[in-house]
Amino acid sequence: MRNRATTPLSKAKIRQSWSKYNLYNLSRSRDPRTAQRTFFQQKWTAKSLSRNYHGEQVRESEWERMFSRRLRSVVPMDPYKLARDDGSGMAAGRGSGLEKFPEENPTPKRLLPASRNPNATPYTHMTFAPLERRLDVAIFRALFASSTRQARQFVVHGSVTVNGKKMRYPGYLLNPGDMFQVDTERVMFATGAPKDKFERREGRVERKKAEAKDAEAEGEEAAAEEAKENESEGETKEAEEETLDTRGTLKTLLDQAKSIMTSNKDVLPAKRKQEIRGFQKAIRRVMSKSPDSSILAANLETQFAEIMKVLKAKKIETKEAKGSKKETKDSQKTETAPTTPEAKGTETAATGENKPTEALNEAFRQAAQNPEEELDTSELTDEEFEVLRHALVQLRDNPIDSTKPYATPWRPRDYMSAFAFVPRYLEVNHNICAAVYLRHPVARPGSSEVPTPFGENIATAAFSWYLRRR
Amino acid sequence: MFQWLDTEGAPLKHHIPGSTNYLPDLKIRGGSFDKGEPSTQPFPLNANFVSESILSEELRNEIHKRVVGQKKSIRAVSAELGVDMRRVAAVCRLVEMEKRWKQQGKPLALPYARAVHEMVPTTPLQDSRHQRQTPHESINDLPAHRLTNAQIFYPVSESRQFTRIEAGRVFSAAPARDHRIVTEEAANPSEAMSRITQNPSRIETVGKGAKEQPVLQPADVRIPHPHLVVHERQRIANPNEFQLVRKAYDARLREEEEIERDRKLIAQERRERQLSRVQPESSRFEFRIKDVVVSKETTGSDGRGARAPGRRYGVPSYDRKKGQIKIPTQVVV
Repeated sequence: MRNRATTPLSKAKIRQSWSKYNLYNLSRSRDPRTAQRTFFQQKWTAKSLSRNYHGEQVRESEWERMFSRRLRSVVPMDPYKLARDDGSGMAAGRGSGLEKFPEENPTPKRLLPASRNPNATPYTHMTFAPLERRLDVAIFRALFASSTRQARQFVVHGSVTVNGKKMRYPGYLLNPGDMFQVDTERVMFATGAPKDKFERREGRVERKKAEAKDAEAEGEEAAAEEAKENESEGETKEAEEETLDTRGTLKTLLDQAKSIMTSNKDVLPAKRKQEIRGFQKAIRRVMSKSPDSSILAANLETQFAEIMKVLKAKKIETKEAKGSKKETKDSQKTETAPTTPEAKGTETAATGENKPTEALNEAFRQAAQNPEEELDTSELTDEEFEVLRHALVQLRDNPIDSTKPYATPWRPRDYMSAFAFVPRYLEVNHNICAAVYLRHPVARPGSSEVPTPFGENIATAAFSWYLRRR
Repeated sequence: MFQWLDTEGAPLKHHIPGSTNYLPDLKIRGGSFDKGEPSTQPFPLNANFVSESILSEELRNEIHKRVVGQKKSIRAVSAELGVDMRRVAAVCRLVEMEKRWKQQGKPLALPYARAVHEMVPTTPLQDSRHQRQTPHESINDLPAHRLTNAQIFYPVSESRQFTRIEAGRVFSAAPARDHRIVTEEAANPSEAMSRITQNPSRIETVGKGAKEQPVLQPADVRIPHPHLVVHERQRIANPNEFQLVRKAYDARLREEEEIERDRKLIAQERRERQLSRVQPESSRFEFRIKDVVVSKETTGSDGRGARAPGRRYGVPSYDRKKGQIKIPTQVVV
């Protein structure tokens, strides 16, 4: 299917897409004028505007068959009110309860027109609800793809499963309870910033190197890893000649970690990457001093403990305080780590139920027992400790890897936040890029669950177009 | 456009961790823009769509812990945390899957998930035990029934107790009940309601043949958590006895769960009885054979019922016709 979903600037059309063109079109969108236009014309405009957004990949005849004039809605009920009142009061008077005196009830709210009543149920916004059931639209709504077209491509190319089985039909209508899942690499590619030309070149070089190195072609990643290790080994040989200045190294490491962790948007990605690379190199150099050669492949906690041991660092704290701090050290399981180290600190404190790690304990005990090392030990404050740890975590979770199809370390693509919302009829787990379609979207007093960029007048006109009473 | 992106659109380029960053809506753009409150309206023209919060990581893990670890029922956890029952079930499924991935060492999309949770509003987990968890969503949503779309003029004498139950009967055109039954039920509404929720198959029906349908039940029964209404009634009746009410609530919840479990088991057994599974050796398929009854009830009086299975003489099959769905309609695991 040819992609007709263009976003021209001359004739602004709003699409299901995160492109900046679309954002600009969205920012200058206004309600179409209705003065001096026949009702038919108004309906036609409304229909074409909303169909450009809702299911432009679906043929009109196909959509007309899907359309239903019965719009789903719910009313949130309060059990307290239900318990208090059996509803018999409403049967009194003329059928809507006894009339109140005018001073008690100045203007009844339900007499307001729907456009001014915040509690009116926006039924006509639900016109395109049947399209939200489609697999490609649901993938886009779950923030797994940057446009519905891309979501459609993911489905067609076979990187989407429904209930664990591969599903190749973008028009598959999800049933309540269906779990759909998109390949994480594809999602990272779709939502991540694209590579610039230098990064693309790096990737090419890396791939060529890997091919040359492994004739057997074990896999690009393995080769890339090896290349990196060789590189670091070379460095370590140089580094071994000079003795390690623990205090100095620790200081530089800390500085680097801090500069990595600051979420300054003004720093160019390339510069940032340089910094991260520097940090990575420094870490490797420190770890190569460790007598244990398996440390590079070990898990994060062990690595961190090892670094601390090698650098003879410890925290300024009394034993009890240290104990409490160690408890807050959680393992890899902290997924929602905010960018700022302070917030990270509070968060780890909040989930303070993990056991203190053995390796860390060991390191601290050794540091405490050896008096001559004690003299050498550099003392770190809580904050510094946290920063260093978090930088290490980030290095592991979000590594630089030029073989990936997106810019590494991964960062969200530009203007993504303006489109980022997850509707309530989906339950999404972004860690594994899986989501469950809980139920069909519904309207409730004051809000509708179908994400649509158009106001009430367009929605109502479009709905009445499809009622086919033109 | 590029001028706009460099000036007005520049703040939208990167996300602000911990707050939403949507296009400011038109009213705000013209007048006073209060920087304190981030807008939750992604589309400037549509005030009826708001970006609602998603479950935070901690809340998700807490739900999983309570359901899988502490073996609480989905209904209880849903009422405790203010999360829809279907969502609770889905969260358990997803967290379970995430754990499996971690065990297998599959790479997770961590930086992506972190970024999304920074962009979208999240419902945090209340960390202290004394604070009540803020509800994530309304758990007692009553779906609007199609029978209630009609406006009915129904004169009622003032002496008659005309409650929600009566109104439901009027909507589904069921005959009025004897007034002795009505007074009996009004004396003990909780028991009357739980009789319906515990035996949904015994709900009275109206209409004949294909048009037979159950009588529209009152909202007290149709909401997902009818037991909460009973609980509120207890609270109103005993305003000072928190412990007692709490105990009664727990007992009621347990009783409801047991009854529901039994009902599900019976239904499952019945389904199994109707279905015979055959898996031939050296075959990767399992054949599930169901007995089909061709009778007036299944095929309709004229024998042309569209829902009835099998080929019948004179009943055309439209499966090749335009507009028929030819792709899978469900994925059974």
